[in-house]
Amino acid sequence: MNDYQYDNQTVKGFVVSSVFWGVVGIVIGLLISIQMWRPEFNFAPFFTFGRLRTVHTNSLAFGLGVGAIFGLSYYILMRLTKRPLLFPKLARIQLYLFNIGIAAAAVTLFMGMTQSLEYAELEWPLDIAIVILWVMFAVNVFGTIIKRKEEQMYISLWYIIATVIAVAVLYIINNLSIPVGPFKSYHLFAGVNSANVEWWYGHNAVGFVFTTPILAMFYYFLPKSTGIPIFSHRLSIISFWSLVFAYLWTGAHHLVYTPLPDWIQTLGIVFTIFLIAPSWGSVVNGYYTVGSDWDKMNTQYLTKFFIMGITFYGLQTVQGPTQGLRVVSQLIHYTDWVPGHVHMGTMGWVTMTTAASIYYVIPKIYHTEIYSIKVANIHFWLVLIGQLIFSITMWITGIQQGALWKAVNDDGSLKYSFVETLTKNYPFWQLRTVGGLIFTVGMLFFIYNIYMTIRRGSLAEAKA
Amino acid sequence: MAEDLDNIDAFEAKETSHKLPIGWLVLFWGLILWGVYYFVTYSPAISGWTQEKAYQESIKK
Repeated sequence: MNDYQYDNQTVKGFVVSSVFWGVVGIVIGLLISIQMWRPEFNFAPFFTFGRLRTVHTNSLAFGLGVGAIFGLSYYILMRLTKRPLLFPKLARIQLYLFNIGIAAAAVTLFMGMTQSLEYAELEWPLDIAIVILWVMFAVNVFGTIIKRKEEQMYISLWYIIATVIAVAVLYIINNLSIPVGPFKSYHLFAGVNSANVEWWYGHNAVGFVFTTPILAMFYYFLPKSTGIPIFSHRLSIISFWSLVFAYLWTGAHHLVYTPLPDWIQTLGIVFTIFLIAPSWGSVVNGYYTVGSDWDKMNTQYLTKFFIMGITFYGLQTVQGPTQGLRVVSQLIHYTDWVPGHVHMGTMGWVTMTTAASIYYVIPKIYHTEIYSIKVANIHFWLVLIGQLIFSITMWITGIQQGALWKAVNDDGSLKYSFVETLTKNYPFWQLRTVGGLIFTVGMLFFIYNIYMTIRRGSLAEAKA
Repeated sequence: MAEDLDNIDAFEAKETSHKLPIGWLVLFWGLILWGVYYFVTYSPAISGWTQEKAYQESIKK
């Protein structure tokens, strides 16, 4: 077995683990979407909405998302640096620790242990484990890049570096807390400061988990699967630096109309709106790359995944900044619009791009072809339709909720009671479950395709 | 079996090394200018605007 094969097995381990946690997260997501309109589907105490929601977000962001990021970053890293990982055994240990960590995270969340900070729910012993895990990742990424055999660093490497550094800084600072027991701690920051640090972290979790590593995949796997070089290296580099510079200032847009000082909110909004430019730099680059030969949409089955993915990224990065504006925020903040927005990003951009990257990587690792392009196409259309139903119903309920909550009588009293505004959501929430179900079936087609490809690859290897 | 590693040319070819699209540059600088305008207009220390004042005005109507 050569060095690459050992590392490839680590990559495969991360990919398979991430798909496993993805299934857990998606199934729980389906259950909590039913709980919204059928309360009797809450099974106290472990399977209630309050606990399951955090299991859903954590298993998808950290299980599916970070698992795929670890695996696919290592794959990209080896090929762009033209060498195996510097510490192959460390990467393998990281894989085991990753799975133990996610399992432990799920158990503690089921038990109701939480720091009560969104996307930073895990209590302090787990935070320490996650930091160790991330340091292992960082050591391998930087070590391999320093010892690289190709001098030129392609844009994907820059995006991976940004991910490693930013997540480390964000995670450590926001999780600074004072432990009062093995499973309980208090945030080091208090009141408005706590909120400001939390959303600086929370928004950049989106930036450096759901954006930069996914762009690394996009910039790598799009040219690889289409055979077309990127439209403009310069555009990709300028977009990169302006994106990472601007992102870290934007968290305050989550705190518009709160006690956070007005000028900090304004500054957050300014950088948020600016982010449209670097985001669209990547969108334009993607379109123009494939634009030199649109036939690829028909002839190479992965092209449409990437183009649809970057399209949703483009929509996401206009919709998101717009939400930051005060006039928009006062209508849609705290409504279903926000989960609608998040799910377009995660289901439309992140999952679409990651799945396409996995479709590319798994056959390469086994020196075989994908099991079925037809199944991949069915997967594509189902997740697309499912995601659209999901996002659009949430946008409708969001605007409806916002409008009803803001409606006042002439004397200033509220026009609608909370329950009145709630019951109007039910038909849309039921439709959302249908959308989620279609998406889930699509993902099952994906998993089946990957499973069959791995099986075929293993059989061929056994024969050889 | 040999591993297929990447040639950087597959990603950054000479014939596709385009300059920045003009439309994108307009967007980039336009948003920076807009940012300056917005920051000046909605910073209490500069323009005197505050969230509280804006709210009081909105309920006067």
